[in-house]
Amino acid sequence: MANELTLSVNSVKQVVSAPAEMPLLFALRNHLKLKGPRLGCGMAQCGACAVLLNGEEIRSCVTPVSYAVGKEVTTIEGLPARWATEKGLSAADAAKTLHPVQQAWIEEQVPQCGYCQSGMMIAAVDLLARIPNPSIAQIKNAFTNKPPSPHLCRCGTYSAIITAVQRAARAMQG
Amino acid sequence: MSEANGRTPATTLTRRGVVKMGGALFVSFALPIGDSACAAKAAVSLDPTQLASWLEIRSDDTIVMRTGRTEIGTGMSGYYPQVVAEELRVRPEVISLIMGDTDKTPDGGYSAGFISGMANVRKVAAYTYHALLGLAARQLGVPVESLTVVDGVVLGSGRKIRYGQLVQGQRLDLKIPVTGTPAKADRTKWVGVTSLDGYTVTGDPPLKPLSQCKVIGTSHPIPGIPDKVTGKTRWCCDVTVPNMLHARMIRPTTLGATLISVGEIDKKQFPTTAIVTMGNLVAVVSPSEWEAVSAAPVVAAGMKWTDWAGLPGSENVTRTLREYRWSAPPASRGKAAEVSAAMAKAAKTISASYDQPYVRHAPIGPFVAVADVRSDGGVTVWTHSAQSQGLRARLAYMLGATPEQVVVRWLDHSGQFGRTTLGGDGAEADAVILSKLTGKPVRVQWTLQEDLAWSSVSPAWVADIQAGLDAHGRVIVLRSSFYSPHMFDPRPVGALLAGMPCSTSPPGGWIATEWPYDRIQNRLEEAFGMPNLGADASSSGLRGHIMRTPGQRQQNFALEALVNEAAAAVGADPIQFRLAHTTDPRLIDILEATSKAASWEPRTSPHPKARRTGTAPLTGRGVCIIVRQNAYWAGIAEIEVTPTTGVIRVINFTIGVDPGKIINPRQLDRCMKSGVVMGLSEALKEEVTFDKGAVTSTNWSRYKILTMEETPQIKVVQISRDDKGFGGGSEAANAVGPQAVAAAFFDATGVYARRIPLTPAYVMTLLKVS
Repeated sequence: MANELTLSVNSVKQVVSAPAEMPLLFALRNHLKLKGPRLGCGMAQCGACAVLLNGEEIRSCVTPVSYAVGKEVTTIEGLPARWATEKGLSAADAAKTLHPVQQAWIEEQVPQCGYCQSGMMIAAVDLLARIPNPSIAQIKNAFTNKPPSPHLCRCGTYSAIITAVQRAARAMQG
Repeated sequence: MSEANGRTPATTLTRRGVVKMGGALFVSFALPIGDSACAAKAAVSLDPTQLASWLEIRSDDTIVMRTGRTEIGTGMSGYYPQVVAEELRVRPEVISLIMGDTDKTPDGGYSAGFISGMANVRKVAAYTYHALLGLAARQLGVPVESLTVVDGVVLGSGRKIRYGQLVQGQRLDLKIPVTGTPAKADRTKWVGVTSLDGYTVTGDPPLKPLSQCKVIGTSHPIPGIPDKVTGKTRWCCDVTVPNMLHARMIRPTTLGATLISVGEIDKKQFPTTAIVTMGNLVAVVSPSEWEAVSAAPVVAAGMKWTDWAGLPGSENVTRTLREYRWSAPPASRGKAAEVSAAMAKAAKTISASYDQPYVRHAPIGPFVAVADVRSDGGVTVWTHSAQSQGLRARLAYMLGATPEQVVVRWLDHSGQFGRTTLGGDGAEADAVILSKLTGKPVRVQWTLQEDLAWSSVSPAWVADIQAGLDAHGRVIVLRSSFYSPHMFDPRPVGALLAGMPCSTSPPGGWIATEWPYDRIQNRLEEAFGMPNLGADASSSGLRGHIMRTPGQRQQNFALEALVNEAAAAVGADPIQFRLAHTTDPRLIDILEATSKAASWEPRTSPHPKARRTGTAPLTGRGVCIIVRQNAYWAGIAEIEVTPTTGVIRVINFTIGVDPGKIINPRQLDRCMKSGVVMGLSEALKEEVTFDKGAVTSTNWSRYKILTMEETPQIKVVQISRDDKGFGGGSEAANAVGPQAVAAAFFDATGVYARRIPLTPAYVMTLLKVS
């Protein structure tokens, strides 16, 4: 049964007509046309669908859309604005500034196929909010042992991700 | 220019007007599809002899390059512009790429076949460069010899002209010489489709010497990365078309089950959903993706299927291969009589057998496709296949259509490591069949479980190897026999289940080894093939397919294992032992450079402190090399193994490569590191499991792959050479990990590991048995 649900996604309030139990991922991709988060395993085992909910990483493939009502959802499309708000950037500066994590992902040339990388960047933003200057061991731990599952990359970009997280950490503190 | 020798195609210049195409106003050398009146009409394929099918130079100095090959996650979308920029003397940033669309690209070919694809566009660029020089000479009124080009500006006798100005209002009838034909299904040919190589550009245009390259050899960034990072990329899974239905497939309960009854759908619960069947192909379709997702398990629960139990169970794979009555090897190399005689005279012989399980490509993104089969017979398919023309050929064959009736459009998707290299095995056949049956465009999104259970799979191998050594401890003769099920079965599962025509070839053997040790001349290599396991199933069972460094990865694992065992048998350091069996300077150099980077101290294996028991971690190190596609690789693993838990941790891994001329050092560095990850994943974790009827390793907790925490510190060694051409600089990075780790395990424990994966349970078994 469809419900009228008001979501706040990337700071924009939008009404989605959908069953309450439908995963948030389907609302983001099919209703709101935000294609950053992607379907991987569909059971919270890989991280390709990760988004931020009130600033913390969740897996949108198993999170009911109704659970996101009243909370703030951030996808990679919304990361630049999130950073601009945090830093209090002017509109002109905000328009030409990516989130430091995204910038680091470009500078370190992290994505190979790139399918998992939206989720990887969300996990990086989540980590850097908790631990601003993580060691390699802390990065490995966050991307592997934080529930519900490791973030998996089949291309094997883990080394590049570690370097990029550290680059982003420096940029965010600078 | 080499017109005198007749090898460079003649160029003529004609005047033509400004041409409208694709809504944009631009000027180009020529139109790929004839005159402007035809431009508005969609073409089904480009004429590969037309320059503009490959390359357009626009009046704003930007360049569009077209290739039928695609980006598969290894950076080719960056390397192609580098190569073209080098020959044209422009910056790579001005070049944009159109990849993989059969109606917009000329050549087809394997996406993994970068070297041949690059050779094509390099020649096209060289032909174009020399034609441009000719144009400029006429326009500037100076001899060609006096011209130089910097960043797309031709300079001569104090005058200059940009490429964009040169081509403005001009049409250059430059014919590109090619050989080849478009891919076409043919059941009598290998893998069932001809011409998977695509077109080859021929002739011998003057190329820039590699020693003078300025763009090749630099770390040009991959153009698609910013859009992938910001969410702007349009992925294959993002494609929607008007009136599209979403489908979820309902697969049989086992690989061989056939449909007895479908049951009904509760229209109150799923008002817009319909069940579509053809043979054993079943799907639910709905305009709402979530409704289709929700309906699929409910419909599946009401369906009845026959029983089938035609698989041996994954625990019995090795026994099944051992007990199979193999006929004469379809592939063999070497002289049996000489090898037998030499083996009889050897001072010492050693032999061993090795096993490798079924593994799979296992993309993070399950396969997806959209198909629109129209009433006029035209078909458009949106795909992430790495073999667009091959896919087109297979889909046309399935439909009884001509390849020209099918247009394949390519988009980015999850890395798939060879699963679509032969043009098959994706969701495309499902989507085409469902679109034909429903009369609407259909999007088929596989689930992870479906992808891990029903896609084609890299088959298991067993190998028997025997070496004869002389009195000095040097290998003088070697015999190797490799056994595996079919590994070239790219038939799409949808076509098989629906009973639609599909094309493959019978199983055969394949010797994939490129021999690295020139001092071991006396060899006999044999490769045996058998049908898919469960081949009698309606789905043809476990459909074997190539996967990254196919065949050679598995064969090299066993050959290098025996080399490691032979070194230990004669008390030699494994690297010194390898150096003693080659005179090839490239192998010697990469081994020496890699061992130096790993601070390798010569000694024999196992380690003096090797043992099999205890709670304290033991350390070990091991080496493996491979030579593939004009590239020389060495890998050195340093591991810790804890006997009481069986857990192996790879602490450091050093990987070296000499791929001839390195095109892009940073991207090569990344591909090497990520290839190590995939190799270690295979060494430690990966195994497809199945019972008598179905695959059981159908999620990430059952089909385990390496995580970030398990990734070692990785050191990279690169040797670039200007005099050896280009080699395969990415693919085989996954092939050195498994044997290097197995050798390191022996070094730590003194126990040979002749099977992978080295899971804790298997390690404990190995240590207890010994």
